[in-house]
Amino acid sequence: MQIVFFALRNFNRARTRTWITVGAMAFACAIMIFYASLLEGWLAGMEKNAVGMDLGEFQIHGRGYRADPDLYKIITEEGGVLAQLDRQGFVAAPRLHASGLAAAGNASSGIELRGVDLVREGLVTALNQHVWQGQWLAENDQAGVVVGRKLARILGLAVGDEVVVVAQAADGSTANELFRVRGILKSVSEGVDRSGFLMTAATFRRLMIVPQGVQQIVVKRQVPSENLDQATSRLSRLLPNYEVRNWRQLQPVLARLFEMSDISLVIMLLITYAAVGILTLNALLMSVFERIPEFGVMKALGFSPWGLFAMIVVESMLQVTVAVVLAVAVGLPLSFYFSHHPIDFSGFVQSSSTIAGIAFDPKWYCVVTVNSVVLPILFLYLVAGLAILYPALKAAMLKPLAAIYHR
Amino acid sequence: MQLGTMAWRTLMRNKRRSVITAFSVGFGVLLSVTFTASGDYAYTNMINTSAVMGLGHLSVEHPDFRDTPTLDKRLVDAEAVQQRVLQISGVTGALVRIMGQAMFASGAKSVGGAFIAIDPAQETPAHNIFLRTLIEGQCFSAGEDRGVVVGAKMAEKLNLRLGKKLIFTMTDKNGELVSELGRVSGIFRTGDDSVDGGVVLLPLDLVRKALGYEPTAASLVAIFLEDHRAAKTIQGDLAQLWSRSKEITVLTWQESQADLAGLIAVDQLFNYLLQFLVGLVIAAGIMNTLLMSVMERQREFGIMMALGMMPGQVVRLVLLESCWLGILGLALGVVITTPWFLYMTRIGLDFSGQIGTDYSAGGVLIDPVMKFRLYRESAMWIAWAVFFLTIVAAIFPAFKAGRMTPVENLKQG
Repeated sequence: MQIVFFALRNFNRARTRTWITVGAMAFACAIMIFYASLLEGWLAGMEKNAVGMDLGEFQIHGRGYRADPDLYKIITEEGGVLAQLDRQGFVAAPRLHASGLAAAGNASSGIELRGVDLVREGLVTALNQHVWQGQWLAENDQAGVVVGRKLARILGLAVGDEVVVVAQAADGSTANELFRVRGILKSVSEGVDRSGFLMTAATFRRLMIVPQGVQQIVVKRQVPSENLDQATSRLSRLLPNYEVRNWRQLQPVLARLFEMSDISLVIMLLITYAAVGILTLNALLMSVFERIPEFGVMKALGFSPWGLFAMIVVESMLQVTVAVVLAVAVGLPLSFYFSHHPIDFSGFVQSSSTIAGIAFDPKWYCVVTVNSVVLPILFLYLVAGLAILYPALKAAMLKPLAAIYHR
Repeated sequence: MQLGTMAWRTLMRNKRRSVITAFSVGFGVLLSVTFTASGDYAYTNMINTSAVMGLGHLSVEHPDFRDTPTLDKRLVDAEAVQQRVLQISGVTGALVRIMGQAMFASGAKSVGGAFIAIDPAQETPAHNIFLRTLIEGQCFSAGEDRGVVVGAKMAEKLNLRLGKKLIFTMTDKNGELVSELGRVSGIFRTGDDSVDGGVVLLPLDLVRKALGYEPTAASLVAIFLEDHRAAKTIQGDLAQLWSRSKEITVLTWQESQADLAGLIAVDQLFNYLLQFLVGLVIAAGIMNTLLMSVMERQREFGIMMALGMMPGQVVRLVLLESCWLGILGLALGVVITTPWFLYMTRIGLDFSGQIGTDYSAGGVLIDPVMKFRLYRESAMWIAWAVFFLTIVAAIFPAFKAGRMTPVENLKQG
């Protein structure tokens, strides 16, 4: 108790120095809280674009489809599979896939045709809310299609323009039909942006002559907290005749990026705080050396080496705690502000930039998580704790007599 | 002169404190070099990789080609453009290419993708990433007019092997669909699935004929530079050459590959911001040290002022101390950074175990080995920043020292 009392009094003695040290720690910590929230926000944005717009959390395919996709490797009894998934607590949407060629004016480009179940797709992905220009698909507009953003550019398409599709239908005949662009998607991923060509499932079935079956079922957990790997094996057991993959398996590069993010945050923390550590070390060294005679007297009066050590540790931990309070008071409101008002990089980034194949959202939100606040604080204590070891040990090991006469 | 010596002596009076402060400056230099040099290396690498994926550091093309890259837009006399460009210094290569979209089919399967039509007699692996990453077969030769080179992923999708037929369909200069037949002569693998599954190299002459182009026409001339930083200047020189032509425009890689340029700009912004923050923390350290030393020496300042030193000279003295700290820190920084820098320029850190070899950003494969490269201007910039921060950190302590009167100071002791 006495130690805390001494430490508190010492806090106020060299005020300018203490406050500069505290200020630098608080500044670094506040910035790191903000940085960590930004990083979390970026990852959340990437996950939203990858999983929430395109991949879904899981995908189910017929055996061999992923290795060698064609129109015939289909999930035949999709009705039964969908009902089974519903019963097991998943939401699912079927998709039809084929490739073909789209032509408009003087341009043509290879495309990935996708037949969308308008009722179910919205339950699994938010693609229907991700339209940049025009409108999302509608059941009563069978000739209306929605295309990827880069594809629209390549073909010089605007909303309302006509576009011809040529493809090989399932019966071997040539599918050939005129469509009208109903909407253009915002940037989703390299694949969808460059070749995504979406139509209603009914139109797809008629065009490609696929009366039944689907190539793909995208699935989402109803309870987002369920472990991804456990849910994957639950799905695999449920559907032993099909290939089940979760998004981490479908997008390994992105999954690695997520795993790396914690490591990169810790590296950032260590680097920034190393500068803070040196500052703290210097400030504490100064304060210890100034007070050598004082420590000598304290020791002569019966203060134990450990008591002195503890006092200096408490002194600096007190400084760190004040810094942390300040940092939270500044960093948290800052992060919360930017979690509602995104930082807009549109000036720098074309809205079709991708990282690991996934669209990079130029509007950048902060996401405050427990990690993004606790990690910067924890590391500040750790680095400051390391920095005070030397000065504190030095003080603890002083010889009383020599210390009293120290000048 | 005298003040400089005095400042140095003052610093040396408390060696431990000065050295720790200088060390923090040195550490700042190390960090700054690490961030800047890894950035300089990575950006250069990305820009060069992006260039060899088709468009070069600069591209000469039809003015409308960038917005809607359809095959009716072309340079009618691309060969003449190429010859002219090759005469400019700093240009290491200029290649005539047709780039566009096509559908590729084999047997019952078809996929969409992009093609680059090249002249095999002129293309070299140095300027063409696909020729550099061939895993099977080889590029078609100049005489073999129906050879094609496909990506490994596309070969997988279409069940292609060397010698197999590939049918490609594209829109010609009049908007008609035309199909041609090629035979696979080589297969490449860059490591990026979307590239390996979506790019095909075709013979220039065959494509010209198919599209109905004039014998010297092409979509663009891709220009490669010794140093990508010269792009803007050379663009200016070239633009002047063809300022009267409405059919020719010159784009830098920033314009033709805006996705990449944007990502680099954002990354750079964060990089600078972080360095600035670390710099501020270090500056706070310097300020703390100087403040301490000023407070300790109030009596000394009092005597000096009583002996006739002007307040301005006291201010200068403290600023000079800070300069010495900066110089000492810079020197220490050079000493601790050099071994690290040399290691990183020669060997580097291999992160392929963590991020893999197939990580891409802005459509460009990222090298998983982190290495250093420091441009001269970046190094100068770091030195100036160190100097600037030490001076800024000294302003408050210096004025604190200069503001007091001799009598006040003498009493303080």
